[in-house]
Amino acid sequence: MSQSVLWEVVKGNNAFLVKRNGLTLSTDPFNNTGVQTYSSTGFITKNAIGVVPTQSKVNQINNVNLVARKSTKFQQVDRKTKNTQSVYASTLSVKHGIHTASRVIRKRFGTRRLGLQKAALRKLVKLNRANSVRRRNEIAATKAQKK
Amino acid sequence: MTSVPLVSVFSADDSSKVTAKHIPLPAVFQTPIRPDIVSFVHTNIAKNRRQAHAVNPQAGMQHSAESWGTGRAVARIPRVSGSGTHRSGQAAFGNQCRKGRMSLPIKVWRRWHRRVNIKQKRHAAATAVAATGIVPLVLARGHRISQVPQIPLVVEDKIESYEKTTDALNFLKRFGAFEDVQKVVSTKVVRAGISKQRGKKYRVRKGPLVVYFNENAKLLKAFRNVPGVEVVNVTRLNLLQLAPGGQLGRFVIWTQSAFAHLDKLFGTYRYTSIIKDGYQLLRPLITNPDLARIINSNQVQEKVQPAKTTKVLHEVQKKNPLKNTKAMDRLNPYAKKQRAAAVAAIKANTKGTKKIKKNKALKKASRAAYNKVAASLNDATKAAVQEEQDIKVKYFSVQKGAAQTE
Repeated sequence: MSQSVLWEVVKGNNAFLVKRNGLTLSTDPFNNTGVQTYSSTGFITKNAIGVVPTQSKVNQINNVNLVARKSTKFQQVDRKTKNTQSVYASTLSVKHGIHTASRVIRKRFGTRRLGLQKAALRKLVKLNRANSVRRRNEIAATKAQKK
Repeated sequence: MTSVPLVSVFSADDSSKVTAKHIPLPAVFQTPIRPDIVSFVHTNIAKNRRQAHAVNPQAGMQHSAESWGTGRAVARIPRVSGSGTHRSGQAAFGNQCRKGRMSLPIKVWRRWHRRVNIKQKRHAAATAVAATGIVPLVLARGHRISQVPQIPLVVEDKIESYEKTTDALNFLKRFGAFEDVQKVVSTKVVRAGISKQRGKKYRVRKGPLVVYFNENAKLLKAFRNVPGVEVVNVTRLNLLQLAPGGQLGRFVIWTQSAFAHLDKLFGTYRYTSIIKDGYQLLRPLITNPDLARIINSNQVQEKVQPAKTTKVLHEVQKKNPLKNTKAMDRLNPYAKKQRAAAVAAIKANTKGTKKIKKNKALKKASRAAYNKVAASLNDATKAAVQEEQDIKVKYFSVQKGAAQTE
């Protein structure tokens, strides 16, 4: 379904829309800027990538996942794959490979959608940094405990 | 679309098994998405379930109140007749009065229901069904469908014979629809307002809609106690269920026979509907609504003029070139060289280190000379003072001597 048509339906009201303090924001997982705009709203496109943190506790990022929007041509989900898939997105964990993840982002967006690419990369870097800081602290804490 | 998209039918027991691999999508799902029609029809149809109510026609009017007229230093509003009670002489009847009747009291014969043209209703239903098959719209409506294997979700007819709620629940879990049910359960809220005292205590979200076909189906009883889930027969599809709140994109679970019945129900682009007599699906205004694709297509790009670069005519804020070197350089490109030359000239004028050294030596010499002079002056002053003292001493001693001799 065309992005333009879907935008007309969805821009006024959708489950991800948050309007606060005069700002129009979005909790869409495929939106890396957080602001609801035509180009940044990923869930209405065929080829968006969302950088999504997974959390077990508040303010703790366990892992960062890339959620890649895939075109839904009524394909059956392959339940055997370990990769958590859904009807509209496939997920890639960033746990050990931030370079792989950034490559995925670069390939998806290429030179045509630099703005989106930069937004996704920016978010990836920030989340990963936050995550690695937390992990470093945890490792340090466990080391200290061992001593 | 020349190629018809295909849909798989899933086995009721195992969500990874597919009983029928490729069923063509009914034409309804290709109807253009018309939120304007849906919104219009929904607002009107939503009024049809209202029950007439009214205010007691005598309310506030059961007085023999009369206006006192002018000249009594009171407002001219009708006042309650009689005496012996506080109420007498108080204002009555007006909407502004305490205990007065409301303005424009509601009558039972208010037009509660709205009729909508059949064609509009049918177009709305068709669009709503089409939206059901579009993943972004279902997501936008807020359904949790990340684990659902396919949208539209078509399951074999076996679920129509479910009698137990456990079967229904397990089925929903198998097909990733349980997440939506959990959403409904966790967001059940006590309603704000008086309605909670009038039998509408909770506000509950909408979950999946299960659509079946066979009239003898028992699944209504199996599914009806699952929060959020609604069950409906294909022949009685309701816009209020397909697009709750006028918002397109309900999460729908179809049974195979219900899905197959849709073509007969709504017709195709080739044949009008059999059941909705003579109804023809809405045709799109544009066959290819993908604007980006059209704009970037070869046919358009060939004819289009090259993109204009934005010319910046002037800076947004004026900078003073006499103070701002960059601004000056923009106006006069030679200014940079002039400045460099000036600096070089100053350096040249001071003739380098020799002149400076000479100056320094001069300064030193003059300072030394001055110090010397100052020192000699000091010595001279000291000597002078000492001499003066000596003379004084001598004088006074001579005086003493003179005094002694006389």
